[in-house]
Amino acid sequence: MNNKFDALKDDDSGDHDQDQGSPKDGEKEKTEDEDQNIKKKSLSDVLQMVLPGAGEHPLQYNYTFWYSRRTPGRPASTQSYEQNIKQIGIFASVEQFWRFYSHMIRPGDLTGHSDFHLFKEGIKPMWEDDANKMGGKWIIRLRKGLASRCWENLILAMLGEQFMVGEEICGAVVSVRFQEDIISIWNKTAGDQATTARIRDTLRRVLNLPPNTIMEYKTHNDSIKAWEDFHGLVNPSGGL
Amino acid sequence: MSTDCKKTTATDIPSTRRVSINDAAHMPLDYSTTPGGTLFSTTPGGTRIIYDRKFLLGCRSSPVAKTPPRGLPKIPGVTSPPSKDTDEKAHNGELPNNVTAPDGSNTGDDSQFEIDI
Repeated sequence: MNNKFDALKDDDSGDHDQDQGSPKDGEKEKTEDEDQNIKKKSLSDVLQMVLPGAGEHPLQYNYTFWYSRRTPGRPASTQSYEQNIKQIGIFASVEQFWRFYSHMIRPGDLTGHSDFHLFKEGIKPMWEDDANKMGGKWIIRLRKGLASRCWENLILAMLGEQFMVGEEICGAVVSVRFQEDIISIWNKTAGDQATTARIRDTLRRVLNLPPNTIMEYKTHNDSIKAWEDFHGLVNPSGGL
Repeated sequence: MSTDCKKTTATDIPSTRRVSINDAAHMPLDYSTTPGGTLFSTTPGGTRIIYDRKFLLGCRSSPVAKTPPRGLPKIPGVTSPPSKDTDEKAHNGELPNNVTAPDGSNTGDDSQFEIDI
């Protein structure tokens, strides 16, 4: 998706896979792999595909709630990150969202180094996911006490399609840290400035941020590099 | 708490009307309207499902939304009470998200707080 106008023109099909080229193709392959894995399971698993119930209000996309917590005392690695992240559940309607949300603790009441992630179904909350690898995120650092309210406003805006950037949004994260909390929203194409600017403006609006709030955009590529530098990793190909 | 949600019955998405947009200036300022007119819950092309915050909050009180989801994993302190010693106390599986905020404080934009960072 090169720009938002392409997104708007092609929107009629309601098909989530209308992108030409780039990250989506990789994602499709992966999805097929996953499909094969599903086929190995029983038919009843396949039939449990999440759909809106009768009379419920469907969402534009299905979403998955995830939770992660850093295991104390163990060095972080990509693998342990994937192992530490737990899927809470998938929902397809507004009502199903509230079922999960109402049975989860508010992020401001989480303890330790933990995160909630809310991503479109099929996108893992990881930099390396095909939907994320060309992407980036807007980050807002919050002083303690604001996370629960900001997180709720952020995810309601995402679920309600308030960002108006076509297929660009991947998901949102709230990160509870020692002295501050961080909320972020991830999109697919870090290089698409029209999209990132629109996401920024929508964030200001839905979070009711004062004009002087510092918002930082970080590409996942930079995040990966920073992570590798921090952990002293050297690119196997000899670069870096 | 808004009750909009309960009163609304599901209807089909209105038939599609194509509106071509060639310039950002043609986009409406208000995110709940569409170029060429307002179509509730739809966007240019007519397929996006849009809900505003107030509407979503209104759906929270519907009976379906209050029942626990099937297969909710038990994660102590996240989806179930924080620790064993509090298990049998007043919590009874009730988590803070389930306790709705003080009346009138979570609907509508006028109640938004000011963030001081």
